[in-house]
Amino acid sequence: MSKENKSIQDNIVALSELVAWFDSEDFSLEVAIDKFKEAEALAEKIESDLTALKNDIQVVKQKFDSEA
Amino acid sequence: MENIRLSVSDFIAVTNQTLEYTYPSVEVEGEVASFKVNQGKFVFFDLKDAGGSIGCFMMVFQLRVPIEDGMKVIVTASPKLTQWGKFSLTVKAVRPSGEGALKKSFELLKEKLDKEGLFAEDRKRSLPGVPEHVAVISSTQSAGYADFVKIVNDRFGGLQIDVAHVQVQGADAPDQIIRALQYFNSRDVLPQVIVIIRGGGSADDLSAFNDEQLVRAIAGSRVPTLVGVGHEIDESLADLAADVRAATPSNAAQILVPDRAEVIRAVRYQVRSLLPRVENVIDQQSNIVRTSLAGAIEKTIEKTSILEDRLKNLRSVLIQLDPHTVLMRGYALVRGLTEVGGIIEVETNHVIMKAEVKDVKRK
Repeated sequence: MSKENKSIQDNIVALSELVAWFDSEDFSLEVAIDKFKEAEALAEKIESDLTALKNDIQVVKQKFDSEA
Repeated sequence: MENIRLSVSDFIAVTNQTLEYTYPSVEVEGEVASFKVNQGKFVFFDLKDAGGSIGCFMMVFQLRVPIEDGMKVIVTASPKLTQWGKFSLTVKAVRPSGEGALKKSFELLKEKLDKEGLFAEDRKRSLPGVPEHVAVISSTQSAGYADFVKIVNDRFGGLQIDVAHVQVQGADAPDQIIRALQYFNSRDVLPQVIVIIRGGGSADDLSAFNDEQLVRAIAGSRVPTLVGVGHEIDESLADLAADVRAATPSNAAQILVPDRAEVIRAVRYQVRSLLPRVENVIDQQSNIVRTSLAGAIEKTIEKTSILEDRLKNLRSVLIQLDPHTVLMRGYALVRGLTEVGGIIEVETNHVIMKAEVKDVKRK
């Protein structure tokens, strides 16, 4: 589960880098459309991944009512 | 019936045996008097009320909350007759009784631990923005735990949450929570955060979180701690020693993980904000092209105007050089042989005439 979480984090970082490209000196109108489509697809992926994620809750077997 | 004859030692032993059988453990409530600690190890005080007084003895490590003379306490103890014939209570645990004593004990311990720097802001560590592995110490049957789990699940996913089920009130609670803290701190793979939670309750219910050893264990945890105990108005020493304090278990969940709905909103906003940026760049570049074009047109007009002026001047010079213009000014044009007897043609502005040359002189 945490691997999925990591991949969401990676995608969020990738999206931020894409957004930053639009403000950078590398920006060019010719490439902007492709970059925009890439950002849109990444945002959709992040949204669907985030919505689908579930937590894995486990109660540990160890008892704490006396010294182990 | 014949009296049993016993030695003093035997009598003391039999009495203690009887006491142990009859009162293996008793709780006695009273006011502390003549409190003292000998050799840093042995604690002595009297427990009294309006009708009587009894001596108490305990080891200093068993004293989990500070007490002082005048404080009302409940001791958990075994009655004992010493070898010197003195009757006393061997105390296993002591806890303040009543709101005043709880508050006093809280303030005393707070002052002591504060002086040691356990609550210092510069000790506090920050929690990871989005943790992947979290440990929770709580009673899994408590409402506070249920609130915490519900809010964490609503807000975010993908977390591995290991839960230690412990008592969160009563005399055993501090030790159980300490053991759970030790358990998580000794794992091969450490969690990124340890969350300790308990819902609201009376001051007595929450007093477990003012236990000195527990507060020290929280302050000494290798893993950053997040503590959410009671309601917003409740303050425990465990809260103060934690790296991050939450007002309630629900608030602990809010602090622990971001809200996925907010993350989604932020992601959408990031993408939406790109189009105006592109439009802005297009506008800027259009302006540059428009300005360059306007400059080129202006320069062309300027050059054309200069050429027109030059043409006008040349035309004016040409007009002045035209022979008709010279004739119009009254001059005449002479053609033919310029020698005596020669016939020449004379052209004026209005006529052309022929004439004979009568004389020729060198100028």
